[in-house]
Amino acid sequence: MDRLPCGTKFATYRADHAWWQTRFTWIKMLFLAFVLFFIIPQFVGGYWITVFNMIGYTILAAMGVQLLIGYVGQITLGHAAPIGFGAFATALSMYLFEVPYLVALLIGAIAGGLLSLLFGLPCIKVKGFYIIMTTLAMQFITVDIILTQFIGPLAGRGRGGVISVEPEMFSIGPWVIYSPLDSYYWMLILVIGMMVFMANLLRTRVGRAWIAIRDNDIAAEALGVNIVRYKLLAFFIAGAMGGIAGGYWLTNLSIVSPEHFLFGWSLWLVGVLLIGGVGSMYGTIYGAMFMTLVLEGIKLALIPLAFTFPAIAGKFLYFKDFFFGLTIILFLIYEPNGLAYRWWRIKRYIWLWPFSY
Amino acid sequence: MKKIWFFPMVVVLSIVALIASACPAPAPVAPVEVVKIGALQDMTGATSDVGADEAKGVAEAFAYFNDQGGINGKPLKMFQYDYGYRVPEAVTTYTRFRDYDKVIAVLGWGTGDTEALKPTINKDKIVYLSSSFSAHLTAPAEAPYNFVFSTDYSTKARATIQYWYDNYWLKDPRYKEEREAGVKPRFVFFGMFGSPYATAPVEAIKDQAKILGFDFLPDQDVSLWALDTKSQVLAVSENPPHFVWHGNTTMSVATTLRDFYALGLTGPGKKTMHGINCWGHDENTLKLAGPAAEETISANKVAFFMWDYPMRDIVHQYAQKINPGVPLEDRLIHTVGGWIKVHLMVEALTRMDNAGELDLRPEALATTRAKLKDYFEMAPMDDIAKLYGLAEFTVTPTDHRPGGKIAIAQIEGGKLVDRGFVDMKGMYPDLWASWLGW
Repeated sequence: MDRLPCGTKFATYRADHAWWQTRFTWIKMLFLAFVLFFIIPQFVGGYWITVFNMIGYTILAAMGVQLLIGYVGQITLGHAAPIGFGAFATALSMYLFEVPYLVALLIGAIAGGLLSLLFGLPCIKVKGFYIIMTTLAMQFITVDIILTQFIGPLAGRGRGGVISVEPEMFSIGPWVIYSPLDSYYWMLILVIGMMVFMANLLRTRVGRAWIAIRDNDIAAEALGVNIVRYKLLAFFIAGAMGGIAGGYWLTNLSIVSPEHFLFGWSLWLVGVLLIGGVGSMYGTIYGAMFMTLVLEGIKLALIPLAFTFPAIAGKFLYFKDFFFGLTIILFLIYEPNGLAYRWWRIKRYIWLWPFSY
Repeated sequence: MKKIWFFPMVVVLSIVALIASACPAPAPVAPVEVVKIGALQDMTGATSDVGADEAKGVAEAFAYFNDQGGINGKPLKMFQYDYGYRVPEAVTTYTRFRDYDKVIAVLGWGTGDTEALKPTINKDKIVYLSSSFSAHLTAPAEAPYNFVFSTDYSTKARATIQYWYDNYWLKDPRYKEEREAGVKPRFVFFGMFGSPYATAPVEAIKDQAKILGFDFLPDQDVSLWALDTKSQVLAVSENPPHFVWHGNTTMSVATTLRDFYALGLTGPGKKTMHGINCWGHDENTLKLAGPAAEETISANKVAFFMWDYPMRDIVHQYAQKINPGVPLEDRLIHTVGGWIKVHLMVEALTRMDNAGELDLRPEALATTRAKLKDYFEMAPMDDIAKLYGLAEFTVTPTDHRPGGKIAIAQIEGGKLVDRGFVDMKGMYPDLWASWLGW
């Protein structure tokens, strides 16, 4: 019975270390890929494609935060800064210098990484609460000063720091990313690529060093892990991932503004992690799906209800935000390890049934 | 404890989700004659202090036009949603309006949603009439489907400084000495450097100040949420400016005005006077700044709620009818802004229907949406603008600025007073075209 991944039964190390350990899991994931790439585009309308694009953007944006908070233990409240910086770097290289899209995306990734690295330098000396302060500084200095006052205006006068790029310029070879559906496929490619990258990175020496730093950095240092090097590497890679997320945001909307990368977005990403599960890659996905879909669900309920009960859109409007906040609080009380943990428990229950362990 | 409570909670949340998903109507098979418009508002987010009021105005205006029979008998259906100034939600709400509710046009709100959706609505060819008056939205070369219901921020800023120059610097006795001594008037910008909104008209107003021969003092950074601006005011108090331009919204503008007043620089007869952008100069500024707001000038975007404009009685009547819980004294200029927005849209739709082109069948949706733009551009809507205290609303396929005559308001004797219009296009006919888009 080689169906479910429970129990020890492998004959080679390679089989034991596989990410998806049984044929069943492979079939399940291939089916998921089939649904994502073929079924969904066929049957859902433009609105749901846009919702998926937003979920994908949230996943890409939250991956860097997951790396820093969940795997290296550096709490960051300023991740919108490298996302925005990367987005603007990509936008400007395409707008001012007509650089091809993939090269511009790479420039954005490097720009985001370097920014994050620069503001991550304090991690050499401080940790914990003080890293929160330095990442907050990164958020405000980058978005409010650098982007709004210096970089945004490079695209022209009187535009309020907004840069828009011709949608036709987003081309990879013969494929032009023009419609939301194209953006959806590109999002899938980026998300899968990034997850494969992260998964593999976490299994290397670098990933193990990060987890050691997260769990007990003093012990890690005593064992010979160069924590300065690995922490800075983590900031750089997280920033680079943020830069790619920013590049995707630009592709999706064809426009960037400093207003898209405010402090609220940094907090939103941390919220995504808390709901989805800190320290779990799939947690990023579940958290992003939850945060976006709950809002869409509220909208789905509220717009028709507002026709019958206008008070909902008027006096009782705060119910919408209240409900959203309440859901998050309930989650944190009853499911502090996040959705990923709960899903893992459900899977284990099924794997081990009728046994309990 | 956790185990006992978890599953009931899951059950409760599932029931709520089921009810929520069961509530919405099935795939819209609405009767062909309903004209659907989407409205994005901010009632709970960063700009909700002004957005909530406009949302009420929009809802009231829709109720009025439906009571009048809609578009030649076709009822209007408004899909209004509060996106809380969260840009991703604005994007998904717009696509919901477009694909699920199948609206004909969208009434937008501020820079957040308008800027994010600009390429998308121009790709989709759907008219987007917004309350964000960024100058580049008025340039059809890059934003053919964007419209604004009042002049853009840059032109408003130019008009404000022009009004001050013509009526105070050149005529007022308090500046007589300095004028005759050949002193140049001094200009300073007070606003949040980190806000794209506050800094949008700076280049244009400095250009205008240069044309008029001003000297410039260093710009002062004032946060949108500033509670104290004494240091910024002191920084310019040595060589006090004659004209201060405020780029922020009411809260911080009121704080700055009070600080100028406290230092004795501002007040009736004093030499420092203030020009404020249209979102920083309203009934609340009066309440918050009190005597410090005397003589402040702005280019108002529409008539103020309590002013005397032709639609006043109807606006007030519907405000009481639809939102009886809010006293009329608490309603702001933004209600009127919501009304003119809806009225301009209704007018364009009526013209389209009179020409027989308002085809509401689902197959014709794309063409109807795209053609609506032409009905804004084909003839002036000046008479509608005049109903709400503006001079004109004439857009052309090459210029989406509603007109060259800009309304000016000033606070005098504790009240907002109408100062008529400044004709920027008439005064600078050769420069007017070059000012488009910035």
